[in-house]
Amino acid sequence: MERELVVTGVGGQGIQLLAKTLALAATREGRHAMLSADYGGEMRGGPSKASVVIGDRPLRALPVLASAWSAIVVHHRFSEPALARLRPGGPAILNLPLVAPASLPAMTTYGVDAGAVAKSVEAPQAIGFVLLGAYNAVTRLVDPASLVAAMQELLPPYRKQHAAANARALAAGAAVLDGPGADLTEVSR
Amino acid sequence: MTLELLEGSEAIATSAIAAGCRFFAGYPMSPFTGLLENMSRQLPAAGGVCLNAESEIEGVNMTLGAAAAGARAATGSCGQGIALMQEAIAEAALNETPFVVFNMARNQQDYFQATRGGGWGDYRTITLAPKDVPEAVEHAQLAFHLADKHRAPVIFYGDPLLAQTRIGVSVRPLDFGPLPPKDWALDGTGGGTGRSRQVWTWAMGKATDPGPGPDRHWRAIAEKFAAIDAIETRSEQAHVEDAETLVVAFGSAAKFVEYVVEELRADGHRIGWFRPVTLWPFPGGALAAATAGVRRVLVFELNAGQMLDDVRIHAADRSAVRFIGGVSIAESGLAYGDLMDAPVIRDRILTACSEGGRS
Amino acid sequence: MTVIDTSQPPSEPARKVADFRPSLLLGEHSLCPGCGEPVALRVLLEVLQELDIVQRTIGVVGHGCYGSFVRIMDVDVLQCLHGRAPACATGIKRVRPDCAVFTMQGDGDMANEGLQEVLHAAARGEKITCVLLNNGVFGDTGGQLTAATVLGQRTKTSLEGRDAETHGYPIPVADLVAGLRGAAYVARGAVSTAGAVAQTKRMLRRAFETQLAGAGFSLVEILTMCPTGWFVPASEGPGYLGDSMEQAYPLGELTTWRH
Repeated sequence: MERELVVTGVGGQGIQLLAKTLALAATREGRHAMLSADYGGEMRGGPSKASVVIGDRPLRALPVLASAWSAIVVHHRFSEPALARLRPGGPAILNLPLVAPASLPAMTTYGVDAGAVAKSVEAPQAIGFVLLGAYNAVTRLVDPASLVAAMQELLPPYRKQHAAANARALAAGAAVLDGPGADLTEVSR
Repeated sequence: MTLELLEGSEAIATSAIAAGCRFFAGYPMSPFTGLLENMSRQLPAAGGVCLNAESEIEGVNMTLGAAAAGARAATGSCGQGIALMQEAIAEAALNETPFVVFNMARNQQDYFQATRGGGWGDYRTITLAPKDVPEAVEHAQLAFHLADKHRAPVIFYGDPLLAQTRIGVSVRPLDFGPLPPKDWALDGTGGGTGRSRQVWTWAMGKATDPGPGPDRHWRAIAEKFAAIDAIETRSEQAHVEDAETLVVAFGSAAKFVEYVVEELRADGHRIGWFRPVTLWPFPGGALAAATAGVRRVLVFELNAGQMLDDVRIHAADRSAVRFIGGVSIAESGLAYGDLMDAPVIRDRILTACSEGGRS
Repeated sequence: MTVIDTSQPPSEPARKVADFRPSLLLGEHSLCPGCGEPVALRVLLEVLQELDIVQRTIGVVGHGCYGSFVRIMDVDVLQCLHGRAPACATGIKRVRPDCAVFTMQGDGDMANEGLQEVLHAAARGEKITCVLLNNGVFGDTGGQLTAATVLGQRTKTSLEGRDAETHGYPIPVADLVAGLRGAAYVARGAVSTAGAVAQTKRMLRRAFETQLAGAGFSLVEILTMCPTGWFVPASEGPGYLGDSMEQAYPLGELTTWRH
């Protein structure tokens, strides 16, 4: 089974790091992962999109996804092309209040006020990790410990001091949605 | 087999070094830059040298020098920069210096450049066109093997998707079989022995030991490339046996075509695909056989129709050949445009199939 | 110090220097009478022998009359593209750092087609020795204007003589290279007189010593006669060189590296 995730939003929201963390976590678990990044020249403010595919066998998915099972919508701006490819019924994590709760009627949506959650655990820069934690709580694509390990591995030496806050953000995001995740065990690996 | 999550450029660099590449020189140009940066990061630790050359022309000539001295050496750019390297690529083909040119191209518009040669003289360049990062890892090593096997420059034809996609891959040295010794390489030890070595396009030899000279040498080179044409073609195909429609594509585009054809197949269409893995030598014999029983041959490539020429030359019935590709470039000019997309390709195939009956 | 005993006649009678042929020369050159390039080749090969580096030397030869020397020099040689010798030599040296690597290029090769190659190699401090045989014309194609042709020189593409208004000014390659920090030894010699040949040989020796010491890039520009390209009798070549090229390109060491 291959599972596809598209992450869409605005540059500077941590989208690329979030996607890379999930892909690396799956890789470290010995599974097949693919990460395609798509962002403009701007470091911040422009469109930012990433897609992650995870599977237990060599992947069939294309680097430009024909369709996707799930989404993390970090910002409504620039999101239309990515969301148009979602297959109905899959899970979508919406970053409230930047993304309207009713914006993806065909999907099983989960709203998370990632900004507030991040602040509540004193990790205000880590909204991407809150959303990733929430996403993984719903989808159970990887072991939560793998996410923490991958996040730590990806931090450059000059950002190592953020590791603890990022780990809190992942856990806090998961805590928000740990309940509903139980309903989705059939889509887990 | 442990997988590492590597960006294509890093996977290709790692693989080239695993193949023994010890010299690399290039000039930054997107999307080739990632390969250059990775080589620059990794080669010194492997005991090699990577130079950020001051120009593409210097980069390729440095590479030619390193290769003439016997090292496994490579350069690269994208098509625009490789245009500047053509003189040296032709020179290497004619003076028989083996190295690898990584064309991390922006699109598929370099097919003619890769397969027709842009320099002077009767030569071709063996060109490998991997369809995805795992195959690129294999081709990065195969390219050095073929270069050394035939003492000729080899082009690795990549693209932005191969350069920038991150995927779990395993890179380890691959064994493609034995190679002849590099007893022709310049190592400096020939001086004063009366048997000093010479690497020279004109092959006139030394006064005391004359070489074949340009006439015999260049005829031998032409014969060598004819021999390569006969033995080094590589291709892949599927569902050819009962196909009414065959779609031909190379590189990343072939991966997309394969994906779409498998979907159409599942929907009941009698359709197959064919992929030249070597663009030169073009697998003409295999294509002729694969097209023998089909009603239409569709060519999909992201250019105005370049491989199309080779398909027309080799298809069993050239009147069955239709072009469904086209020029498609991202706004940045640095990557593929909207045409490199499975739904778009599906539409084009179905439209072509509806012209003249259901597939 | 060796004291030569002059109380007895020498055991062998004197011979002309010209009768000697370095063993590294495999045959006669085929260039015009009065050409200066074979003289430069000869002193270059003598230096390789005297430094005892013959069996670890690789030459990279460009395109000009001297290109035919690849047939008569008993040295491992890459005959490269026009102008690109310093780039090829860079690749060779980087993968064979224990070899002495030199280029042989004319002014058409180095000052016209390949000026950026030599400047970049010098700036990188590439541990190679570039030898520029500067005769101020394209000799191989029959005497046309190069970027190093001196003002007033008549060529087949400057029939009335090079004038700055039309053709601009000649490029002093050694001076350009000497301005770069990576250049450890830069000198300009000539082969027009016995004294100049001896001086040029010392320059070549120092250039190779600089390379072998790993001190950086070295270049020796050698002014050579081209009576055919200059449209003067062969016997007048050396004098003509002194009156024309040497006036524009003063001889001497421009950059010296100290041990």
